[in-house]
Parts: sequence; C-alpha cells; structure tokens
Amino acid sequence: MNLKECYAALEGDYEDVIARLRSERLVQKFVLKFLNDPSFDLLNHSLENADYEEAFRAAHTIKGICQNLSFTRLYQSSHLLTEALRNGWSPEAAQLVPKVAADYQQTITAIQTLQEKMG
Amino acid sequence: MNREQGYKQKILIADDSEMNRAILTDMLENEYHIIEAEDGMQALAALQTYETEISLVLLDIVMPRLDGFGVLKVMNQRRWIEDIPVIMISSESSASHIDRAFEMGITDFISRPFGATIVHRRVVNTIFLYAKQKKLVNLVADQIYEKEQQNNLMINILSHIVEFRNGESGLHVLHIHILTELLLKHLIQITDRYPLSRSDISLISTASALHDIGKISIPSEILNKPGRLTEEEFTVMKTHSMRGALMLDELPIHKNEPLVKTAYEICRWHHERYDGRGYPDGLKGDNIPISAQIVALADVYDALTSERVYKKAFSHETAVRMILDGQCGAFNPLLMQCLQETEMIIQEALTNNNRPAYANQIDMEAIMEEMMRHEELASTERSLQLLEHERMKYNFFSAMSNEIQFEYIETPSMVTLSPWGAEKLGLPEMIMEPHHDSQILAIFSKETLQDFSKAIRSTTPSDPVIHYDCQATLGGASRWFRVISRATWSSDETPQYLGAIGKAVDIHEARLRFDMLLANVKDVSDTQP
Repeated sequence: MNLKECYAALEGDYEDVIARLRSERLVQKFVLKFLNDPSFDLLNHSLENADYEEAFRAAHTIKGICQNLSFTRLYQSSHLLTEALRNGWSPEAAQLVPKVAADYQQTITAIQTLQEKMG
Repeated sequence: MNREQGYKQKILIADDSEMNRAILTDMLENEYHIIEAEDGMQALAALQTYETEISLVLLDIVMPRLDGFGVLKVMNQRRWIEDIPVIMISSESSASHIDRAFEMGITDFISRPFGATIVHRRVVNTIFLYAKQKKLVNLVADQIYEKEQQNNLMINILSHIVEFRNGESGLHVLHIHILTELLLKHLIQITDRYPLSRSDISLISTASALHDIGKISIPSEILNKPGRLTEEEFTVMKTHSMRGALMLDELPIHKNEPLVKTAYEICRWHHERYDGRGYPDGLKGDNIPISAQIVALADVYDALTSERVYKKAFSHETAVRMILDGQCGAFNPLLMQCLQETEMIIQEALTNNNRPAYANQIDMEAIMEEMMRHEELASTERSLQLLEHERMKYNFFSAMSNEIQFEYIETPSMVTLSPWGAEKLGLPEMIMEPHHDSQILAIFSKETLQDFSKAIRSTTPSDPVIHYDCQATLGGASRWFRVISRATWSSDETPQYLGAIGKAVDIHEARLRFDMLLANVKDVSDTQP
C-alpha cells in the first residue's frame, strides 16, 4: 500500500492534500503522526467525564487536523460532532459519537496498514 | 539585538494541536525561528518574554485555558497588537468570528484547510510590510521634523522682512510668538470658554508672526515717520490690517489651510478692541476671534515695552498698568487676567538672554505637537528601542534582586511573577484568575487574598502604595512576608483600578526577633511587683 492507496482506504482526498502541502514526504510524515495524536482519546475521556467543553475542543482539534490532511470522511463526521457539542451536550452528539468512532477506526486502520507495508 | 548572519526572525505559533503546529513549523522553520505555544496562556507567556522580538503570531481560536480572542484582548491591553502582527488560522470560518478577530486588530485570517504556499506567502508579506511600515514611520517622523523646521524658518524670514522695512528690532515677532503662546496656555487653564487644543495654540502662535504683513504695502515715509502721524497718514496706516488679510485671502492656493485661515483672522482683526472701538470692522467682544484678541494684547504689550522711533521703552510694570487702565483700548477681561497672572513668567521669558534656546524650545514643542497629531507615530522605532532597553534593564535587575516581584492586571485577571519569585514560590511565571488559582490558594489563604485586594483597592491615585504583612505557606511551613505594592489607577476623570505592581519580602526572622523582644518586655513587666 502506498500513500495514495492509504488515502483511498480512509476516504480522503489525496490530490487535494498534495496540492496544498506540496510534498509527498511531508504529507506521509504527518499522516503517520496522526497515529499518536491524543485528540481522539481526549474526546472519549472527556465524554466519559461529561466535560463537554473539553469534548468540544477535542472534536474541534480532530476536525482541524482532518482538514489539514484532507481526511474527508473523518472530517465530515467530526465537523458535525463539533457543531453538536458547541453549546454542550445535544441529542445529535449522541448519534454522532459512534459515527466518529467508526470513521476514526477506518482512518487508523488504513494508516496502520501503510505503516506495516513500509516496514 | 542580534542581526548577524544566521539570525532568524521569531514567529510564535499558538495552537493546541501538536499536529497543526508541526505542519506550520515544517513550512516555516527554514527561514524563521519558531516558538510554539500549546494554549493562550503559553502564548501570553512567550509574548511577555520576547515582546517585539516576535515578528509575527500565528494564532488559533479554539484553545484550552485561554482562547485566541483572550490572547488578542491582552495584546490590545498591552498595546502589543500595534507592533506585533497577528495572523489568525482557524476552521472557525463564521463571519462573526472573522469580523471580531479583525476588529481586535489581526492582520490576516487564514481558514483551514490551508495551502503551504498561501501560508508561506502571507507570513512573508506580513513580516515584510510591518518592517517596511516601521521604516516609513521613522522616515515620516524625520520629514515632519524637517518640514516643521523649514516652515518656521520661512515664516520667520517673511516676518523679519516686514520688520526690517519697519525699522523694528526683529525681536518683535519672536516676542509676539512667546507672549501669544504663554497667554493662550494660561487662558485654557482658567476657562473652558474657548475650546483650544494644544495644536490650536501652536497654530495661533505660529500664525501670530504674520500679523503685520500688511505693512509691506504702506509707504515707508508713513511707516518710518519719526513723529506723530497726521490723521490722513494714520488712515493709511490703519489699512495694513485689511491689506494683510487680503494678501492671504488672495493666495492662489493654500488659502484653506488652517495656518492661513488663522493668520487671516489675526491680520484682519488684531487692531479690533473688545468694546468695538477698534478697526477695521469695529467688531465687539467675542465676535473678534480669540486668536486676534490674544495677538492684539501681545502686540500692544510688546509695543509699549519696546523702543520705537517715536518713543522710549516703558517698563513692564508701567506697560501692564497702562493696559489695565484701558489706555490702549479695551481688552477681554479674561485676557487681562491672564496678563496679570503670567506677569512673572512673561518678564522672565522676554528678558531671557538665552533667546535662541527658547526659540528652539518652541520648535521642539511644535514638533512634539505634530508628532502627537499623528497618533500612529507615537511609538517609533526609537522609542521602541528605549522601551526594549528599559525592559532589559528591568529584567536584569529583577533577576539580580532575589525578590518576589509581581505585576497584577485586573482584566483579564492575571498575575506575572519575576523569574526568581516564581521559582521561590514554586509557581509558574504567569497565572490567570489568581484569586481562584489552587496553587496560589495553597500559599496564601483566601482571607489574606481578599483582605489584600481590599486594601489595595482602597488606595487613591495620589497615595497608591500600601505595606501589608501577611503569612504564606511555603514548603509546608508558614512564614511572614511583607508585601509592598503600588496600585495602578487609570488617568480617567473617575480613576479606574487597573491592577498593581509590587514585591514581597521575607521578614520572618525579623518578625520572630521582634515577637521575642515583645515577649521579653512583657515577661519583664510581668515580674515587676
């Protein structure tokens, strides 16, 4: 699997990210870095503690990173979750959390496969 | 500052996501020195440390502890925003967010997702423009200085030509200038009747030099006639005020310039009198512009105290008495009051042998005036360097002093500690909402903080310093400290409490010795029969 195939697997926009960040090396570096980003754990953790302000910021951060890296699928669900959490907990948020979790899993799996293939 | 090769300008990146900071850093680190901040508080701490050494801030909006708007608020309060450009980067792309950010002084707004080229270009452009603007500000300041010099020079030459033809000393113009300025400055202190700004005063004083330009068209036989003028000759002589005004009115260009308009008033009406018995128009009271009223008084006073072809110089006392007695026509009672109350200063100013120095001082005041009119010039590079120097001095001495020094500002509630003080107390150098901060409350009790806050707020702008002894818990033990603090009050009509600066000194041992002494005294007195 190469970077382009990885983007196809996580349903991102490879052409867009290369056009913006201008360097395949750079994009790959940050895509791999996404595995260590603490924002998703922070999101889960703050939802468990009902700290919705923190949850909003975590969702917002995930959305921002996805935007930067053109992770279109995860961007869309995290964007909706951010808005659902903007003024605290909402029924929409309850529906969106599993969706974000699934999209996050899909993204992580694709990146892990890329990492393994690279050895 | 370090400008040797390899010196990189500093960019502060404030974003809570490490990924986002890393992406920006990657784009910029070849050309710039990057400072990273994980939240608004860290961003403020970096700004506090580096101030104008930071060439640009890339600022996220949504951040924990203090968000991007909170950072902008403090940057406005500290006036950092005037010298440090901010580019906001955010996925918050709603119009209200963007409007608010621009209102708070940001230079540019970049929405996510951003392109490497765009970020790079905008960063380079912004830094370049700010550098260029600083250079231009200096250039303009120099030019204003030069222009002001030349303006005054031209006006002085022109009025000296008139005086030369008059056979007058050449001091007359300078005297009128000095008198006009002194009288006007006093006038605005004793009454609000004439709304004159500092720049109005400067303008009237400068224009006063032109009051007699109409004399250029009076035949010299009349102008320089040694004895009394015949009635006919006096009629001709009296035309000089209107002629001077017409000369200015007929200027093909510039006639709407404030200086020319003021000079017009002065030329035309500086022989009017308050009771309407002057010339050429017989205006009465405040129908005569205040500029002309002042110059009229200054003109009469200087004429009396100077030697002329037809008279000797009167003494200052005689001249003032003659004016107050109404021997030279009626003047505005307020102006007569000014003349009386500034008597001493006037004598001093006019008899001062150090005349060129005074003339320079007038120039300097005029330049300062001009500088103030251009608010954006208030902090030029030079004054920034001075500030930079002061900051360095302050940091150096506070690092050397082994004292706990602090600065508190009220909104947003925030305390900054000197590095040594922060280490001694085991606190960060910057703490938001100190009254509710658990680390601070572990050292000072809530009561102590409230009591201190009450004491400092009960000070006044004229007596802002308090000494306050209190106990603090350090390393598990309670120790006595003396806090010496000065409240900062705004200069508004009703002063607002802005915050406080001060230091805390450990007086524990001294206090114990004192207590022991007290106890001994008590023991001794107890054992007395």
